[in-house]
Order: sequence, then structure tokens, then C-alpha cells
Amino acid sequence: MAHHLFQETANDDYNETVSQLLSLLSSRPPPFIYVHDPCTPRVATSTIVSGLRSLAHKPHTNMTFACVNCLACFNPRLLFDTALNALAGWSPTWEDGCANWGGSLDGQSQRFNENFDGFTHGLRTLWNDQLAGRLHPPPQASARGKATAEARLILVLENAEKLKETMPDLLAPLARLAELSRVDITTVFVSEVRWDHIRPSLSAAPDPYYIDMSPSSQQSIVHRLASSYPSDEPYDPEQYLDNALDPYTYHPAFRTLYTHFVTTVYNVCAVFTTDVDDLAYVAAATWPAFVRPVIDEYRRVVLERRVLERQEAEEAGEDVPDVLEEAAVDKEVEISLAPPPEEARIRLTRLFTPSITAAFEVLYPRHASVATWATANIPPANLLMLPPQQVPSLISRPSEDHSAEPSLRQLPRMAKFILIASYLASTNPARTDMRIFGRGPDERAKRRRKGGSPRKTTAKAAAVKIPQRLLGPMPFPLDRMIAILGVLLEENDADIRPAAPEHTVPGEYTEMEISRVAVFAQVAELASMHLIHRTSPADRLEMSTAYKSGIGYEAALLLAKDIGIRLNDLIWDPL
Amino acid sequence: MFLDAVEVPTPSKKMRDIINIARSPRTVSPGKAVASPNKRLPPRDITPTRTLPQTNRKPPSRRVARPRSPSPEVELLDNPVSEPQSPTTPLDSTPAEPSPVDGEVAALPTSLGHQLSTLPSELEPCLEAQKRATLRALHEISALPQAPAGSDDAEVQPPTNALAYEQLQNLLNGTVERGEGNSCLVVGPKGSGKTQLVERAISSLSEHPIVIRLSGYAQTNDRLAIREIAWQLTEQTGRSLLPADNDGVAEDEDENPFLDKDNKPATDSAITLPPPSHLLALIAMLPTLARPTVIVLDAFDLFALHARQSLLYCLLDTVQSCRAVAGRKGIAVVGLTMRVETINILEKRVKSRFSGRIIRTAGHPTFDSWAKAAKDALCAPADVDQAGWHDRWTNAVANFLGQEQVLDSLRETYSLTRDIRVLSRLLVAIVTSLKPSSPYPSASEFAAAVAKQRAPPRFSFLTSLTYPAVCLLIAAMHARTSGHEAFTFEMLHEAFREQVRVSLSAPVTVEGGGIGMVRCSREVLFGAFEKLVALTVFVATGPTAVGIGREFIKYRCDIDRTEAKNAVESFGQLNLRKWLNKAN
Repeated sequence: MAHHLFQETANDDYNETVSQLLSLLSSRPPPFIYVHDPCTPRVATSTIVSGLRSLAHKPHTNMTFACVNCLACFNPRLLFDTALNALAGWSPTWEDGCANWGGSLDGQSQRFNENFDGFTHGLRTLWNDQLAGRLHPPPQASARGKATAEARLILVLENAEKLKETMPDLLAPLARLAELSRVDITTVFVSEVRWDHIRPSLSAAPDPYYIDMSPSSQQSIVHRLASSYPSDEPYDPEQYLDNALDPYTYHPAFRTLYTHFVTTVYNVCAVFTTDVDDLAYVAAATWPAFVRPVIDEYRRVVLERRVLERQEAEEAGEDVPDVLEEAAVDKEVEISLAPPPEEARIRLTRLFTPSITAAFEVLYPRHASVATWATANIPPANLLMLPPQQVPSLISRPSEDHSAEPSLRQLPRMAKFILIASYLASTNPARTDMRIFGRGPDERAKRRRKGGSPRKTTAKAAAVKIPQRLLGPMPFPLDRMIAILGVLLEENDADIRPAAPEHTVPGEYTEMEISRVAVFAQVAELASMHLIHRTSPADRLEMSTAYKSGIGYEAALLLAKDIGIRLNDLIWDPL
Repeated sequence: MFLDAVEVPTPSKKMRDIINIARSPRTVSPGKAVASPNKRLPPRDITPTRTLPQTNRKPPSRRVARPRSPSPEVELLDNPVSEPQSPTTPLDSTPAEPSPVDGEVAALPTSLGHQLSTLPSELEPCLEAQKRATLRALHEISALPQAPAGSDDAEVQPPTNALAYEQLQNLLNGTVERGEGNSCLVVGPKGSGKTQLVERAISSLSEHPIVIRLSGYAQTNDRLAIREIAWQLTEQTGRSLLPADNDGVAEDEDENPFLDKDNKPATDSAITLPPPSHLLALIAMLPTLARPTVIVLDAFDLFALHARQSLLYCLLDTVQSCRAVAGRKGIAVVGLTMRVETINILEKRVKSRFSGRIIRTAGHPTFDSWAKAAKDALCAPADVDQAGWHDRWTNAVANFLGQEQVLDSLRETYSLTRDIRVLSRLLVAIVTSLKPSSPYPSASEFAAAVAKQRAPPRFSFLTSLTYPAVCLLIAAMHARTSGHEAFTFEMLHEAFREQVRVSLSAPVTVEGGGIGMVRCSREVLFGAFEKLVALTVFVATGPTAVGIGREFIKYRCDIDRTEAKNAVESFGQLNLRKWLNKAN
């Protein structure tokens, strides 16, 4: 369905810009063009490519183009091969070993894809072929026109910003491609970031001819979404059965209803995103539920009429066929389908607007897939018959299996203590440990004596302090975490341990517990589960190992509740 | 806190003032400043729509002009904008006077009425042809001859590029005809026609030399460069690479890299490079070829950055030791660069082999010549059979280039950069926007092109951001004012949550609706955050360590406060505006 999404027919600024670009490309383009589309780069590329395709098929043009996705072509060799294959109209086949286009080099040791020089030579070979008309032999009718038309190559690079990461050395040569290869080739970069961001330093690349795509209007977004409605002629109900959808979900009769529906989806979601892909995703998930009551209603009407007819026939004493046979009913339902009346549409819209919002919340972060959402949200069959007060909740969220909650809860008790201790060690500043965890008879007095430190006077001009939980976990030495663990265990665990009369000094039992090998093994295991991260290098043995907590505030709170620790009392700056 | 909501911030007006102040010394030259202030008052050149206001405007300006200078010999008459100034400006010696542009325009009194209306349908093919011809001319704009500097002075200097062309041609002639070894450097700013100059000089030679073109951008090390030399050599020479009676001076016959090629059967299109071990000996063999060789090194300064400059050393050494002996041909090395001190970065042994000849190119010396180039390119002859079209078009172009607004923009551009390709881009933008409903270039289109092509806006999409993105921007501004240039997503999320809480806690309603901000789930906010990162509005401050959660990676905001303010203004929500204003 996705390819329907970007067929462009609406007339707006966007298309005006694209058509200007195409007319430029068909006359005498500058050698380097940069198309900047911050909102919908995919739409920009597909619009340009489809425009180029129709241009290339016109008579009296001698133009070949290639569109290369820099995301897919992540090294120079792939890039060169893809471009040359596309320009030469060559597709590798299994039979000849998937060989790339080799032109005159077949059987030689030289390759066109070896480096940039090879690529330029390949382009020159292509160019000479194109001048001679050997490439894409023209149909006889337009053969004479070809002779006069200027030959031109066009190389469109999609996602051009990726070039900066994958092959920065190629940016300047690609921008100067016409000059370096000495053929009439135009390089078109399409990207969502601006040229300034990927421009090579020292003006190595010439400045491009800039083309800025304006963001799409609501009208064109809705149009784009609505044009994704499948247009199968004849309609085949079977294809939707696989997805557990009603077979008539995408019946052509509901096309206008779909347009209205998409407008509603846009209005609900546009506050948060105007991305066509996301909107289409939400629409695909919620449409089956939206249209289901309508289909059910038609089905009910047909069934009632049939039953009535049978009763009449029986009363008249005639011989009745089995009118409730499924296939016949389905056929009649399909014939009777029509757009619902205005008030039904308004009622549906009102009923389903909350569920569109809910679907967006779940689907935007991709916590559930379209199919899961659609099957979990099939409305009751008699929805349109119900009075408004009795309408049940139309939202049922699929079970959230994306959260790590259950797996955290299944951890052993000691692991939970260690995780909380590591969270505390990562969030609390080390200098506050004495104040929070210090448990001694004279601790309070000591602190008083040390009070009035000179720090108070200097801290005035500093910037606003940001709580550590917003800045991310700090690394801590293992010893510190073990010490905190000791305090936690002494206060929350000591009472339920089996009695050990041999330990007489207070805290001696805990002291022994935290020095067990099992604790350190647990730390290593948690590190392997990435619930805590080791930050010191693994090959350094002489220093104390450092770790960092890998869980967030919510997870820590959950674990603390499990083992009965009041976490907020122990955090230096609680929420 | 909601009562001062009516305050209307005026950043745009302030900006306009600043721009006006910045522009005023440039636009008002001392000669005009006295005479023209009242003339400038009516905003005649600010045309929001393209066609109609201009047609309405033309007749009055002509009516004003007629009685003042009725004689048809005054050619300036056809430039409606410069007319009122003409009596006051004879002493004005700035190059601002658009005389060379207007001077050649023949008066076409009849066509003026039609000129700015829509095009009759029979002329549409003409427009298309004209567009094509103009675009072609713009493509080769740096090859256009430059007007000589100081044309009204007694001693007319030939333009720099013509001089450079002559020098280069002499040098290449020496190589081709007398077998000399020559080296030179062509230095000039970008867009000054270096490449065109060399290409023209090479194509004008009496005998076709072997031309090897290398570029520092493509051949990033010497290995690539030498391979490329070999490839181009085999392409251009084929089997005739070696004369039969090859008497190499230093090399003995066995080391000759091309010897085995002679024994090969004639597969003329086949390209076989000599084995890599022979490649290095290639350069020394260049003078022994059957034809003279010209090696063009684009981005010469980049070759000087290669390890030990060995390629340059080999080439220049071959050039220097080239003797005019029978059977040996000349060799020339031409380096192109825009780096002025390129000769200083050459190593001593390389520099001593370089001839030291430097040929300079330059862009257009005066504004008049620059404007003339624009006119020439625009008025490129198109092959159309409609008789009146050419006059019509040249008239429209002259009219366009005569407008004060256009001249100002051109002058501004010229003072910013002498790169003629910028001018070409501006003109390409106008020409592509021509269509039958507005067939002639207009000042408003030109202004739009200048805004887009000369220094494009960094963040053009800020006015179309979604609600979560705007909130994140404001939160980032708050982080900045509180002294934290770098921020994490968590910080922004916290600030946003806090602001939503505060705004919802106030029990104020306006016209029946609450004034609180819309809630937004953490995931949606994070989606917007990632989009802003993809658009490079938020830039990561450093490399990220392993194990840092995505929400704790530090970013900084690439947008300054004014831009953020404009974005929030155009978003138009009062509570967001107030939130931003608190970050002071």
C-alpha cells in the first residue's frame, strides 16, 4: 500500500517547486543541485523520480537518470555500481553471476567501481554510448528527434546527509562530478538537512543551486493519505481475510468515507506530528474498527430482510430455499454497500475520536503493530444501534509486552538490592553518602562541627543545579556501591535472615553477607544483562572497577517497592 | 501572570530596523542623498503580486518622464526608475549608475503595454526557447569575455583574464611547437574562470597534445594519481603510445612499461594498465611519447599535501630535465589553485624544480562589467522564428535590470562575492520561474531568488514545527538561560512537564476553554526530539560513551534566541509565547 501513498496529484507549492526543478533538468541544469526537504524527504525523492521517469520516456529527449539511496549504498563501491547499473539500464542476473555493468571493460582487469576515477571513466563510457545512441535504443518514430536532443545524465542521491558519515571523501568529488568526469551530468542531492551541515571544509565543493521544498499543507497531506486507499478493480474481498479484517474493509464504496476519516485522523494527530508515514500508520490501524459498524449494519439489514422473506414464504406455504446461505448473503451485502448517511458518519467520528488518540499514543512509539491494534479493537456488532449512554469503551490496548517490568520483578532478591544500591550510587553525589547513609552514635555531632564549610559562600554565582537523575547515571567505584548495599541490607534485610547467634557485634552478619562471592557474581551477571554498565576498561586489573547504573527512576522505584525500601528517603534530591 | 498577555513583541520590526540601518549607507550614495528622499517615499518597487501592479504603475512613471526630457535621443528615457535621478547624478562617480546596461536598449514604445501582461499563446514556444538559450548561457557564464577595466580612462587595461589567456597560450605553444618543458600555476579566486581558461587555451593549440587531467579532489593520494595518469594515457594513445625507435635516456628497454603492449594484438578499445610495479617509471617516460603532453592539475594545493609531494616532484623534475632533443616532445604542467600561497607550501626540492611562473585570473573588475555579464547571459540569442520576440525580450531584460531594487540587490551581491557563479545561480532561479502567465523577469522574483540562493536561511522549516517540537525548543532556551548550554532529553522533558503542570493548575478559562498546555506523552515528545536531532537543530556535543541511554546524551541547540522566538511567534500559541518570555 505504501507506494500509493506518494502519488502526487494535489496542486500546491510543493508541486510547483518540483515541476520547476523538472523543467530545469530537462533544459540545461546547473551541474549541482541541492534539494532540501526538511519534512518529507521521501516524498520529495519519489516525486522527483517519477517526474524524471516520465521525462525520460518522452520523445525528443536523450536523458538517463539514476536514483541512489545513500542509506542503502554505504560504501563507495556499492554507490558506483548502483549508479552505473541504473544509468546503463543494466540489471544483474543470476545466470551471469550477478555481474555489474562493465561496458567496454568486460574481461579486463580494470573495474569501474574500484575508486572514484574508475567511476568517472565509467560515466564517460556511458556518455559516449549515449551520444552514439547505443544506450536505450530509441523507438523508430523518434529516432530523428533524438539526434537533435542534448544527451544528459542525472544522478539523484537520496538521503545525501548519510554521505557525510559513510564516505566524507566522496562529497566534494560528487559535487564536482560534471567537472571531473567531463560529461553533461547533473548531481541532485536530496536531503532533510541543509547543505551547510554536510558541506566539506575549505570550499572543496562548489555551492549548489538550492531548491527548498516548502512543508506540505493540510490539504495535500490529507490528499496524500486519501490516495492510499486501495483501488482494486474488481474488488477482491479474500485478500483482507488473512489479516483478520472484515472482507469489505477497503471496499470502493467507502472511498469518500475514508477521505472524511483521514481528515479526522489528521485533525486529531496534527498537533503532535504531521509526518505522512505516521498518520498513515494510525489510519491503517483505526480504519477497520471505524468502518466495521457500517458493514455490520448492512449485513444486519440484509439478514433481516432475508428472514422476513422466508417467513412470508413460509406463511404463503411455498417451498423456501435456504436463504441464509453464507455466500449468497455476502454477495447481497456487497451489492448493497454504499457510503453511510451524513449523521451516521458524524456519530462514528464522535465515537471513534478518542480511540484515534489512544491509537496514536500506542502506535507512534511503535509499542504495538497495526495488525495487533486493529484486531484488538473490533467494536461490538450492534454499535450503531446502541443509545449513546450504553456505548462501551472502544479502546482496548493490546497487552504491553514492551516494558521490562515483569523481567525486573523476577530477579532474585539480592539482585534487586544491588540494583537499588547501584541506582543510589549513580544518582547521589558521593559527598552526601555520610549524611544519608552514615549510621553512628556521634555522626550528627561530627557533622555539626564540620558545618559552616567555605563552600556555601562560593556556590552563589554557579548555574542552576540540575538533578543528577536528569543528567544520567554517574559512574561509581564498586566499593562505594557495596558499602551502600551494606546499609540497605542492614536496615531492610537483617530482620528476616535466619538467626546466626555466632555474630555478636551489630552489623557483623551484614558485613559477612556483602563480602560473599555470590554478591560479586551477581554484580557480574547484572552487568552482563546491561542492568548495570561497567565503565572501567575490562583489561585494567590494578584499579578498582567502576560501574554505572542502567535502570531509570521508575524501575528503581518499582524494585524498591518490591523489597520494602523507601527509595525517596535515600535519594539526595528526590522527585 | 496571564494579564500581560496583550503585550505584542516586535522582533520582526526590530529586525527590519536593523536591516535598514545596515543597508542605508550602501543604497544612498552621497550624490543622491540630497535629491532623492522624497522620490523614495512612495514604495513603488515593493510589489507583492507580480503582474498587475506593474502594469498599473508603468503609465504614470512614463508620463512623469516625458515632459522633463522629451527628446527621443536620450536613451536613458527607457529606464523608468533611473529617470528621475538623471538630472542629479552626473557627478555621481560610483559604479552604481546602470548606464552600460541601459545604454544599449533601443526604445520600443509600442510593446511596453503588452510587455508585462501574460504572453500570447503563439509566443509560448519562444519563451521556452529563450529559457533554454538563457540557461545555456548562464551555464557558461564564467567564459564570457569581461569588459575591460576603466573603460572611460585614457589607458585601457586589457582585462586580467585576457592577459592570462595570452600568457598561458604562449606557454603551451612553446611546449607543443618547440618541445619545451614548461610549468606554471594559474591562481585565481573561485569562479574566476581558471578551468575555462585552461580548456580554451588547450583547444586553441595547433597540434592536439595528450591532455591528462587530474584533480586534487578525486586523486587523494599519489597512487591513485599515477594510476589515473596511466589510464588516461592508454585511452588517448592506444597503440601509438610508443614510437618504434624509442631511445630512452635513463631507462633501458626492459623497464619500459609499454613494451609488452606493443606485442599485443590490436584491441583498440581495450584498456590494460601496465602492472603496478611499472607505474612509477611512467612519468619519466612522458617526454618520449609521440605527441607533446599537457598535464592539468586542478586543486594543485591538495597535491602539495600528499606524502612527500612525490608526484609533484616527479612531474616537475621531468619538466625541468626536458631537453629539446630530436625525437622528444615537450611537456607542460599547469596547476590550478585558488590558494594564493600555494608556492610556499611546496618543499624546497619541489620548488626549485618549479619554474615559478604564476598566471593570475580575476573576477569581473567592476560592477558594470558584472552587470553586463548578467545582461549578456539573459539576452542570449535564442533560435526562434518569431520576428518581434528578440526585441521584446531584450526590452524586458533591460527594464528588469534597470529597476533600482534589482540593481541594489546586484550591487549587494557584487560587494559580497565576486564569484560569477553566484550571479548565475540567481539568474537561473529567475529564469526557471518564468511561465506564460508571467513571462518576464521581475524584481520580486529576483528578491526571492536572492534570499534563497545567495545565503539560504539556516532553518527554513522553523515556522512549520509541530507542538512538541516547539515545546522542546522553548525548553532548550530555558536550559540555556539557566546556564546549561548542553542538555539531555530528560531535562527538556522535566521542564515541559513542569510547565504543563503549572499551566493546568491555574483555574483560569478564556472564552469557556482552559488555557493550559496540551499534555504530551514522553514517547511523542521523544519522537519530536529525534526529528529535531535529524534536522540538526539539536547537535550532539561530543562522542557518546557506551551504555549511555538515549535520553541522557548531551545536545546543544543550534538555534539562537531570535530564531526560536520567531518560530514560537509563528506557531501562535499565547501560553507558549509566555513560556518562552520567561527565559530571560
